[in-house]
Amino acid sequence: MGENDKTPELIKRRLDAQKGGGDQAIQKQVAMGKLTARERITSLLDNESFHEYDLFVEHDAREFGMDRKILAGDGVVIGTGTMYGSPVCVFAQDFTVAGGSLGLMHARKITKIMDHALKMRVPLIGINDSGGARIQEGVNSLAGYGEIFFRNTQASGVIPQISVILGPCAGGAVYSPALTDFVFVVDKISKMFITGPSVIKTVLGEEITMEELGGARVHSEITGTAHFFANTEAECFEQIKKLCTFIPWNNTQKAKVFPAKPPKKKYNIEKIVPLDPREPYDMKDMLKALVDDSDFLEVQEMWAKNIIIGFGRIDGETVGFVANQPNYLAGVLDVDSSDKAARFIRYCDAFNIPVVTLVDLPGYLPGADQEHAGVIRHGAKILYAYSEATVPKITVIFRKAYGGGYIAMNSRHLNADFVFAWPNAEIAVMGPEGAANIIFRKEIMEADDPDKVRAEKVELYKQKFANPYVAAAKGYVDAVIEPEETRDHLLRALEISENKVAIGPKKKHGIPPF
Amino acid sequence: MKAVKAIIPGTILEILVKKGDKVTHDKPVLILEAMKMNNRIQAEYDGKVKKIYVKVGDRVPKNFVMMEIE
Repeated sequence: MGENDKTPELIKRRLDAQKGGGDQAIQKQVAMGKLTARERITSLLDNESFHEYDLFVEHDAREFGMDRKILAGDGVVIGTGTMYGSPVCVFAQDFTVAGGSLGLMHARKITKIMDHALKMRVPLIGINDSGGARIQEGVNSLAGYGEIFFRNTQASGVIPQISVILGPCAGGAVYSPALTDFVFVVDKISKMFITGPSVIKTVLGEEITMEELGGARVHSEITGTAHFFANTEAECFEQIKKLCTFIPWNNTQKAKVFPAKPPKKKYNIEKIVPLDPREPYDMKDMLKALVDDSDFLEVQEMWAKNIIIGFGRIDGETVGFVANQPNYLAGVLDVDSSDKAARFIRYCDAFNIPVVTLVDLPGYLPGADQEHAGVIRHGAKILYAYSEATVPKITVIFRKAYGGGYIAMNSRHLNADFVFAWPNAEIAVMGPEGAANIIFRKEIMEADDPDKVRAEKVELYKQKFANPYVAAAKGYVDAVIEPEETRDHLLRALEISENKVAIGPKKKHGIPPF
Repeated sequence: MKAVKAIIPGTILEILVKKGDKVTHDKPVLILEAMKMNNRIQAEYDGKVKKIYVKVGDRVPKNFVMMEIE
């Protein structure tokens, strides 16, 4: 190339910019158990697949001495790469550069890669590690957040959006992850809150640590903001890679099909559900007895544990599961479990993933705290989500399906495609005790021995109604099946639903009970 | 305080441990009948049973401290 060759200059500029905030800042990052932004990206993507863009972007802020500050890449790394050979777009905030603070150009880089992901119909993975808005840039940083939120919403339901919280994510910054499909957090590293401990202390006089306020556990167990909890960054990246095996790359595709595998033998489906309807059991064993290789990926495992949501495969194809958990709160529906299930159903529906619903629940949880927490409004979400979904919808009722819970759990009446029930299923308007007390109130009250008469009437009600045949007689249940045939029935139902066409009335959008 | 609380209002059906017993966080310590289910309530903490505040047949409200672990 000769003496006019400018390549060495490029290489020098590149190396300088890639140093981020410099050695000292990087050492501080490492001391916190954190990887650097570029290390995180390369850990996540296929080897050597990452291509960085906008490395030489600079801010043009002038106030408060900003004109003398050079911020490498303006504190964020963006680019494209591949996962399992398929393209993805990614951004990672660089905490070593001005605390990963979000200024105008920083935001412009993020929105550029978001636009790219949406145009190219590929997933967007955002790694958040930022002190918040760059105060020196004033309203420009607010503009930046707003422009990101707008794009998150535009892309919602079109491409998968994954947020990884690997550091602080505070103030306005929290709302981008909240608008995305899946939020990943790491113990002791992730912190998410609207207002931090110092503001809370000033305004309310309350003292609370960052961890107690918005640590990874808080968002995994209490708020439901996070979907996956990991102990280390490395474990977090494995979780993301695992999730990406189950989901399609955009809303016009189906998830990748894997070679079919039977469930592991140790999960014997006939031995999981106790015959006594009062005895609890672990629905996760049932899921493992149904899915390929007993490989079930649970979403929001630590929050609203009375309902289980997650992905598995049946004969190689991804299925989204919604299942009551009799082991926790008797598997009732309540405010949080309705919210959790409804959002997951809408995710599956947006991305062409069939939904299989596994039912064993006593109904909605009674009580003033639930009523006042809005169980009507939140409980309605699950009805809305099932009714609205047009992907294949299949239900299996194992044991209890009472009252509103029966209707809500993808019943025929919400337009389920297939409803199966086990022989021990009890499908009824309410439990036998309660029902007998109402129907035979007078007879029980007037009897010489009310307890004896009550017991007789409960038994009578059980015989008459606490079975699957009343529902089957009306066609509400398509087939009463033997337990060991369950996977075969699911498989056949999924096969026949492969080309399902269901188109509702044309509308701009519905108004779900948000 | 390491308290075993009622996650749901119900009736104590069975107490599976006694004062001084060693327990682990995932071990059921009592059975709480609620919502037509005999719910197995776990210790939630590793340790020893310090005090039991309920007896069989008691009705407990939500969040009632049924047992203390030390």
